[in-house]
Amino acid sequence: MLYIKLTKMTDEEIIRQVQKGDKEIYARIVKRYQDKLIRYATYLVGDYHLASDVIQETFIKAYVNLNGFNIKRKFSSWIYRIAHNEAMNLLKKDKKQFSLGEHVEIDSNIDLEENLIKKELKAQTQRCLKQMSVIYREPLSLYFLEDKTYEEISDILRIPVGTVGTRINRAKVIMKKICQK
Amino acid sequence: MPKINSKVEDVIMARIKAEEITMKPKWYFVMGSVFMLLGLVSLTIGSIFLTNLTLFLLKQHGPMGQWRLETLLNSFSWWIPVLTVLGMTVGVVMLRKYDFSYRKNLTIIVVGFIASIVVSAFLIDYLGLNKIWSQHGPMKKFYQQLENKNMAPGRRQNGSGRFRNRP
Repeated sequence: MLYIKLTKMTDEEIIRQVQKGDKEIYARIVKRYQDKLIRYATYLVGDYHLASDVIQETFIKAYVNLNGFNIKRKFSSWIYRIAHNEAMNLLKKDKKQFSLGEHVEIDSNIDLEENLIKKELKAQTQRCLKQMSVIYREPLSLYFLEDKTYEEISDILRIPVGTVGTRINRAKVIMKKICQK
Repeated sequence: MPKINSKVEDVIMARIKAEEITMKPKWYFVMGSVFMLLGLVSLTIGSIFLTNLTLFLLKQHGPMGQWRLETLLNSFSWWIPVLTVLGMTVGVVMLRKYDFSYRKNLTIIVVGFIASIVVSAFLIDYLGLNKIWSQHGPMKKFYQQLENKNMAPGRRQNGSGRFRNRP
């Protein structure tokens, strides 16, 4: 009964409960986001294990700062933003060029595979992403692989919506060049 | 090949239950927002005041009503415009912390912020408030010190607020 109730609750409703003191249901948030966030972080840092560490730190930071989250805003953008910051900190710390590992397994449990064209595009995107600069890799992975809208990407990366569009368009051109080599 | 699993969830929930990690209280974030706003307002007011002070000092004329560039360069209190620029820069950095800053065009925000400071400074100058401050009230001494420092040696103000003649 409680499980059904929890699955129907929105992220923001769960967060409100956690803020009120029900720590246990934070597990629901972790469950909802861990795979998506690890996948996103893997695109950025190029290593599954590093990405797992980044996401563990992301969930800890999110929990510590949960009272600073504005319930009126979208939780997914907030937690993706923290993940983005953590991944960027790691990239800055270790200045060696990160690239997407050859043997990284991407979890595909989400309903992205329904559309065959999208699936093909997704596979192609994953192959080409590793060769792109991080400023293009990020919006492109969020848009095509994480199904985020321009507004959500703008909130995650803290750049204007227009810049998101510009970067995605440029990224498409770069990716076309890379993939056609 | 590594496979994504639920270890992250177990580790995090174990640490939460053991109270190794705790939430920062709500007042911490409220205070953060309040201090941030107060800081921004103080910086803006400070920058307006310093810009106005720069204008006020630049308007000090030398003998014969002409600018004396050499005197100006030698005696001008350069820390005032330097501090103004610093205040504006910190103000812009603080503005960028707000959510609206990335939704709008940053150039417009920066130009708008600087323009509002400069316009306010000119407005204070136009209304003659700086003259009032330099002659009355708690700021009188401060203004007089700066005026004296900025003037040609022959035109320094005496204690009564009058200019003495060149020897």
